[in-house]
Amino acid sequence: MNVFKLNSWSPYVAGGMVGILICLSVLITGKYFGASTTFVRSAGLIEKVFAPERVEKMDYFVKKKVRIDWQWMFVVGVFFGSLLSSRISGDYRKTALPPMWETRFGPNRARRWVIAFVGGIIAMFGARMAGG
Amino acid sequence: MNLLFWGLVTGIFFGFLLQKGQVLRYDKQLGALRLSDFTIVKFMLSTVIVAMVGIYFLHDFGLVALKPKTTALGANIIGGLIFGAGWGLLGYCPATAVGALGEGRWDSLFGIIGMLFGAAIYAEVYPALKTNVLAWGNLGKITLPGVLGINHWIVIVVLIIAFCSLFYWFEKKGV
Repeated sequence: MNVFKLNSWSPYVAGGMVGILICLSVLITGKYFGASTTFVRSAGLIEKVFAPERVEKMDYFVKKKVRIDWQWMFVVGVFFGSLLSSRISGDYRKTALPPMWETRFGPNRARRWVIAFVGGIIAMFGARMAGG
Repeated sequence: MNLLFWGLVTGIFFGFLLQKGQVLRYDKQLGALRLSDFTIVKFMLSTVIVAMVGIYFLHDFGLVALKPKTTALGANIIGGLIFGAGWGLLGYCPATAVGALGEGRWDSLFGIIGMLFGAAIYAEVYPALKTNVLAWGNLGKITLPGVLGINHWIVIVVLIIAFCSLFYWFEKKGV
């Protein structure tokens, strides 16, 4: 049996393996896991296209250093890791609406997009305030 | 350059394990918030147990540095409450939104765009927050063993027992 072709692993096993991955990462590069600062840097990179001098003067962007760093590549890696896993197992599926959402709120996609967008704004604002 | 390479490789492994653990799903994240499916909690606490033991073990041998974040009560509590409200609406957290897109759940794309706006808005208001909310209740870089004044392994063993009891209860309830 090929374990990589399984659709899922026990959350205890997969979660425990992430624990080992964190230890290796800290041992090799000194990097602990995080993702939300990458959204700050990406927002800064995008704003820089339109108003570079402004971004260079903004406290928060200066503090977080707008550049592509370890964490930025880490977040890109998460996308490809998930793609790889779901392609190998055949679990990959283009899904417009989460099943639980559709059961509760119906098939209107625009409604989900608006709520996901607004939820994203609120979640990231809070995450940055709380420190990640 | 080397660090960028490690970031990508580490991220790929992390994304792979998140996908296999089925935690990149709106239904699982909302399931945890609705106390009906604890897959996410099982996954996270398993990570905490292994990483906690591993990191402190490596630290005891002087091989790694601990990097605790600053505890600032105002920022942590208010920011946490705001994050929770947004998370409940979006149904993905920052890393899992990106991972969800990787397995084809493209409603997360709108969340990712929203999070970019959220980060940009935060950068705008940061100077105003810095002098008030963010400065409230700043306790510095504290840790549980440090505050309790006891050996870290005591805290680790107690937490492992607590988490495993929770796992036992989840499995007994079938959640």
